[in-house]
Amino acid sequence: MNILWEGFLQGMGGLWTVACVVIPLMIVLEIAESNGLLQKLNRLLAKPFRVIGLGEDGAFPVVVAVVFGITYGSGVIINHVRAGKVTPKEARVIGTFMAIAHALIEDTIIFWVLGAPLLLLLTPRLILAYVMSYVVNARQTLN
Amino acid sequence: MFEVTGKMVWKGTKTGLLTTWELAKVVVPTAVIVAIFRASGFLDTLTALFAPYMGFFGLSGEAAVVLFSGYFVNLYAAAGSIMALNLTISEITICAVMLGFCHSLLVELPISQKAGSPLGYIFIIRLGCSLAVGWLLGVILP
Repeated sequence: MNILWEGFLQGMGGLWTVACVVIPLMIVLEIAESNGLLQKLNRLLAKPFRVIGLGEDGAFPVVVAVVFGITYGSGVIINHVRAGKVTPKEARVIGTFMAIAHALIEDTIIFWVLGAPLLLLLTPRLILAYVMSYVVNARQTLN
Repeated sequence: MFEVTGKMVWKGTKTGLLTTWELAKVVVPTAVIVAIFRASGFLDTLTALFAPYMGFFGLSGEAAVVLFSGYFVNLYAAAGSIMALNLTISEITICAVMLGFCHSLLVELPISQKAGSPLGYIFIIRLGCSLAVGWLLGVILP
């Protein structure tokens, strides 16, 4: 019984630490989204996305996935493909990027709170996602 | 125009509370399970079994529990395991970066597939990135 209690307390303690960060962050994120900052970010990133073969419609699901998570990003892709806004080839590039780098805010916070440095949590994922997407796009263009 | 309304704050708070609740459902049970693993000696068996492979990433055998709970369950479960174990900061960092690339596979692989990417392909790039970067960090981190 003692062991169960100890594990429970450890879990609750960790949970409290995370909640203190997650709740304020979600408020900030909601304010940013309501003010259309996501669209602005998308426009700002237009150039680097063009390098990996993604136009504005293709970049949007990536931005959504990076900020909110792979489930939301996938939802947007599925809709975009259905609406003809994104080609299956673009979908593969987006899928690659998204699989490696998604939910960067939530995922990063979980481990940042536990002591891992921000820079190491963010940059390797973004860089590898970009490089892999570049390779996938280049190979598709060749074929 | 940049504006902040009470509605936005309330909606954000609700999302935050919901996330915390989702978190609680996984983190607390995982911490309890890992505590049981440790008390029963099962953790030591597991640790001994994986120690040789974990050394490759600069990790102790215990960290295998963190990696497995992250790969197969999700990052919250991995966080719960970290809380219940005594890992160094550099071990936590290595696990965290490795798990960033590759996690919640049982849930996320089918999602990727639905979004138009083959399952095996996504699995290989995610695990590949995770192992490669883990090895690199194991070499460069003190």
